[in-house]
Amino acid sequence: MPTPSRWMIRCSFIYLLIGFLMGGLLLIGKAFPSYYFQWFLLPVHIEVVLFGWIIQFTLGTAYWILPRFLEGPPRGDIIWGKLMVLSLNLGIFLTVLSYLRLLPNFGTLIGRIFETASVALFIYLHWNRIVTYRN
Amino acid sequence: MPRITRVFIKTGMIYFLASLAVGVIIEINSISLPVLYPLFWHMLMLGWITQIIFGVSLWMFPGRTREEGFRAQMKGWITYILLNLGVVLRIIAEPMLSYSNQPVWQILIIASTLLQMGAAIAYVIEMWPRIQSKKQRRKNRKKKW
Repeated sequence: MPTPSRWMIRCSFIYLLIGFLMGGLLLIGKAFPSYYFQWFLLPVHIEVVLFGWIIQFTLGTAYWILPRFLEGPPRGDIIWGKLMVLSLNLGIFLTVLSYLRLLPNFGTLIGRIFETASVALFIYLHWNRIVTYRN
Repeated sequence: MPRITRVFIKTGMIYFLASLAVGVIIEINSISLPVLYPLFWHMLMLGWITQIIFGVSLWMFPGRTREEGFRAQMKGWITYILLNLGVVLRIIAEPMLSYSNQPVWQILIIASTLLQMGAAIAYVIEMWPRIQSKKQRRKNRKKKW
């Protein structure tokens, strides 16, 4: 399994645990409305579970498992792969900080820009790997 | 495909269908209830998507045991049992919180939270050591021999 995939999949496991923990706090908050102070966690929970866990896991697995190039580096230049990981996680981190009011509102915008850059890198790296070598 | 993966995927498909049925009910004004929204999303994201990710990764990721049975794949089965008990308890208890003050629903919600959390922990314990480079895998194989 290549380095960017290992990084992404391990990060996604950490986000899975954090996301489930937040979800649990939100659920318990529903059962005890007088202690329901965790409402601010809802957007963070959605961000962490959707981008941190599901999307990150999927991208990391795709980078590993899709058909490789027959010539040159098997998955393209690995630097772009590492940048993809960095960009996605920086994006999630900034968005979460902004949702927690630890950054001004524009933190969400910058976070989303990093996430978009990461997805653009993912497409750039994988477009030509969506092939069959059977013919 | 190992039995545990087949069970994960088939259970996931049932949740997928059930969540979309709830989605249809939400759209029918005369029978729609606000308590159905979180159920719809969690049946879809936990019951279907997370479940299928768990099941397929237990099968596809390197380092799985080919032996079948609860003992051989204990962490995977524990993940399955805890996740599904947690989701089912949630499906029962979460809507009831809006209609009843009985403490039993609160207890079920806490149990559901702990079960789902336990499932995530069991899954990560199973999968974390299986995320390896080719080099690490070769080293581990040599050690085994």
